[in-house]
Amino acid sequence: MNDDPEQLDRHVEDLLHDRKPERTPLSDEDALRARQTAAMLRAAKPGAGLPSKEFVERMQASIGGWVGEHSAQPQPAPRPSRRSLLLTGAAGIAAGVAAAVGVGRLMPKAAAPSLNQALVENGAWKPVKALADLPQGTPIAFRSGAIEGFLIRQGDEVKGLSAVCTHMGCILNYSKFRNQFECPCHGATFETSGRPTDQYDTPLPRLPSLQVRIERGQVEVYSV
Amino acid sequence: MGEDKTGGAALFASPAKVVSLPQAAAPSGQDHLTWAYQTHVTAIYQYIYSRVGNRPDAEDLTAQVFMKAISGMRNDVSVPELRSWLYRVAQTTLADHWREYYAEDAGELDDDVTRPPAPRENPEAVHRVDALLATLPESYRRVLELRFLRGYSVRETAQELSLSETNVKVLQFRALNRAGRERGRMS
Repeated sequence: MNDDPEQLDRHVEDLLHDRKPERTPLSDEDALRARQTAAMLRAAKPGAGLPSKEFVERMQASIGGWVGEHSAQPQPAPRPSRRSLLLTGAAGIAAGVAAAVGVGRLMPKAAAPSLNQALVENGAWKPVKALADLPQGTPIAFRSGAIEGFLIRQGDEVKGLSAVCTHMGCILNYSKFRNQFECPCHGATFETSGRPTDQYDTPLPRLPSLQVRIERGQVEVYSV
Repeated sequence: MGEDKTGGAALFASPAKVVSLPQAAAPSGQDHLTWAYQTHVTAIYQYIYSRVGNRPDAEDLTAQVFMKAISGMRNDVSVPELRSWLYRVAQTTLADHWREYYAEDAGELDDDVTRPPAPRENPEAVHRVDALLATLPESYRRVLELRFLRGYSVRETAQELSLSETNVKVLQFRALNRAGRERGRMS
C-alpha cells in the first residue's frame, strides 16, 4: 500500500499523544523508514522516553514473581507465562526465547531464608583497588564483574556501596562538589552513607552495602 | 576473624563493621534477575522508545525483552555480557515488531535493528537527531522541529509557518521521508 500525508500524520499524531499507532501494512521501505524516523524524533523531545514508575514497578513485581516460582520449583523451567506479565497486549513472548543463549540455572537453589540477603550469590572475591590508592572519605567508583559500586575509605576501613540507583536502576554519579551521589536519570540523590535525600512520594530504599574486604593491601569486593 | 557465614559470602572490610545488607523491598529479595532488571530497565526502555516512539509499544516490547532475556540467562553473566545480551534481545524483538506491524511480507530487516547498538545509546540520541536535522532543507527541519521537538499541533504549525494544514501534512510527509532516507545513508 502506498503511503500518503494523511496516513502518516495519523501515525505522527498517535506518537505525539503516546498512543499505540494503528497497524498499517506497508510494503514501501520509505514509508517504514519515515515511521522509524518519526519515532526517533518523538523520543528526542525533552522528557520523552523514560519509563513510568508504575510500569517499572509492575515489571519488577512480575520478574520477582517469576523468580519466586522458579526458585521454588527447580524442575525444568517453562518460560514466563503471558499472564505473569500483567501487561496488556504483550504478545510474542513465546517466540524463540531460549534459542540464542546457553540456558543455565537461573537461581541458586532455594537459599535458606537469610536476613542478610546478599546482592551477590555464588560469587568470588575480586580485587578492585589498592588500599593505598583510595583517598580518605571520597567515594571512588569501580566496576567488577556484575557489580558497579563506590568504595569509601575511612581510616583503614573501606565501605562498599552499590552505585545502582534504587529508584529505577540507573548508575549513580558522585558529585564531589555536593558530596553526594546523584542519579542522571531522575535526579535522585543519596548521602555518601547510602541514605536517600530526595523527596519522592514513597521514600527510596537506601543504597545496598557491598561486601568488601582488604587482603594484603588490596581492596576486594565480593562479585560475580 | 570468621571467614564465613551461611552461603560462604559474608566477610566485611572490618570485623567491627559487619554491615547487614538492607532487606530488599521485594519479597523475593535482591536476586540476580531483579538486579539485572533494575540496572537495565531504563536504558532498554529508552532504547526501545527511541525506535517505536510511543509508550504502549515501548512498555509491551520492554516487557517482552526482559521476559525473553531472563528465561535464557545464566546467573553468572558479567555486566558487559548482560548488556549485550539484553540489547540483542531488544533488537530481535524490535525487528519482529516492525515485521509484524508494518510489513506485508516478512521481508528484509531495516539495517537499523541489525546493527549492534552503542553501549551508551541514549545520551547520544539528541545528538543523532541534531545531526539528522542538519542534513535537511530549512523548511523540512522547521516542520519537524515544531511538530516533534516542540509538540505543536498541525494547526499551530500551520499558523507558525503560514501554510494550510494540508500543506503542513504534505511538508511533514516529505520531511520524514527525506529524513528517513538520510538516516539510512548515515547508518
